[in-house]
Amino acid sequence: MSAPHVRRAGVTGIGVVAPNGTSTDTFWKATQAGVSVLDRVTREGCEHLPMRVAGEVRSFEPAAAIEERLLVQTDRFSHFAMAAADLALQDARLGQSDLGGSPFAAGVVTAAGSGGGEFGQRELQRLWGKGSRFVGPYQSIAWFYAASTGQISIRRGFKGPCSVVAADEAGGLDALAHAARTVGRGTDVMVAGSTEAPLAPYSGVCQLGYEELSTAEDPVRAYRPFTADACGFVPAEGGAMLVVEEVGSARERGVPVRAVLAGHAATFTGASRWEESREGLVHAIRGALGEARCAPEEIDVVFADALGVPAADRAEALAIADVFGAHGRRVPVTAPKTGVGRGYCAAPVLDTAAAVFAMEHGLIPPTPNVFDICHDLDLVTVRARAAELRTVLVLSRGLMGSNSALVLRHGAGDASW
Amino acid sequence: MSDRITVEELAELMKTAAGVTVAPQDLEQRYDSGFDAFGIDSLGLLGIVGELENRHGTPMPPDAERCKTPRQFLDLVNTTLMAGA
Repeated sequence: MSAPHVRRAGVTGIGVVAPNGTSTDTFWKATQAGVSVLDRVTREGCEHLPMRVAGEVRSFEPAAAIEERLLVQTDRFSHFAMAAADLALQDARLGQSDLGGSPFAAGVVTAAGSGGGEFGQRELQRLWGKGSRFVGPYQSIAWFYAASTGQISIRRGFKGPCSVVAADEAGGLDALAHAARTVGRGTDVMVAGSTEAPLAPYSGVCQLGYEELSTAEDPVRAYRPFTADACGFVPAEGGAMLVVEEVGSARERGVPVRAVLAGHAATFTGASRWEESREGLVHAIRGALGEARCAPEEIDVVFADALGVPAADRAEALAIADVFGAHGRRVPVTAPKTGVGRGYCAAPVLDTAAAVFAMEHGLIPPTPNVFDICHDLDLVTVRARAAELRTVLVLSRGLMGSNSALVLRHGAGDASW
Repeated sequence: MSDRITVEELAELMKTAAGVTVAPQDLEQRYDSGFDAFGIDSLGLLGIVGELENRHGTPMPPDAERCKTPRQFLDLVNTTLMAGA
């Protein structure tokens, strides 16, 4: 990717609406401090479900962030997405006038796991409770997993390539990679990422079928990957949107490139076949390293998928050992998502946001609530670890069998490769 | 419920069905502005028509959701309601 004519994609803006913060400042402060905000599920209609613990976004006021006209026609997952996109664009100092007069210079790509379940449930209850004439017309668009991409595109007037990745949880990383490739093909700016809103009754019931879901009652013990107490994962809502921009375009605008999306690869090894995910992750990691022209020893930290299911944790630890060498150099591994939960497609996007902050601050955030690692991993726990971070690997797996790996390089001095 | 629909009721429907807040007096002054100028798209108008049909228990003509302005809309809807009464 070092040829001069190659258009490279960097991160120039980050917008976060997460359980541990609805601004990048609060998100990073909580993340680097290892604060866990996992708590009992309190969203209406969910209290009785055996899904006891989750990462809820409690400090988000949709009406303060989104026009009422759009609130009535969209689900909570799109509220998060529009708000996060606004924050990311503001962070990137990117307004309509910065697109060189062409709305086709900017596009949107999101990943979605469940779409607008809460909105859809309300309208379907009207359908069966009162009749078809009582279903609002916005049901036709609000539940759809493509809704957030469409609403961001319309609201911000972005007419460039727009798409949605439906590829399981790992789709969050695939969406960022898709954005980078779209930039490579000629679009200057992509708003890319994922937000999810799975904490609603219908969506909650859908998740009860996942054998990997934690049903533990105690927020401190509910999500403990890589330990002997691992009992599944805890879901979360919210997410992040990034501004992925052509490096030259960012330089022209005088905006810092905070990280370069250097390499990505994805594989598929089948639903809940965790033992096989080892090989899938290895291939994804090697593919991402290859695209980034990055040697394994250049990776300074791994943001793990950390599912919290013993077989899956073992597969991930072994995959990391396969690539980086079991007894050779020990690469630090972290999983800050144990403090906020897994927001499905949004989880690896939040990890990517945290990875950019980690590189900027020279600090590996810890893995909250996790002690006594039972795998051969240098997992960062309890408190953040200072380290010079030039290159980061983010991993993600989905319950349906997708595996994905993304390599990010620190933005500063990126001309050298 | 086959009374005429007032400008107040239309303003209220615009808020509940389409999330657009406009005072009845303002709506009256902008009678001939397009619904799009108020921020109401075709699905929003469709929602207003559906809600009116449910409230008044009578179907509206297909043209109702194609009306461009509040004046056109109220004229057509009220003509329909008067005819049905």
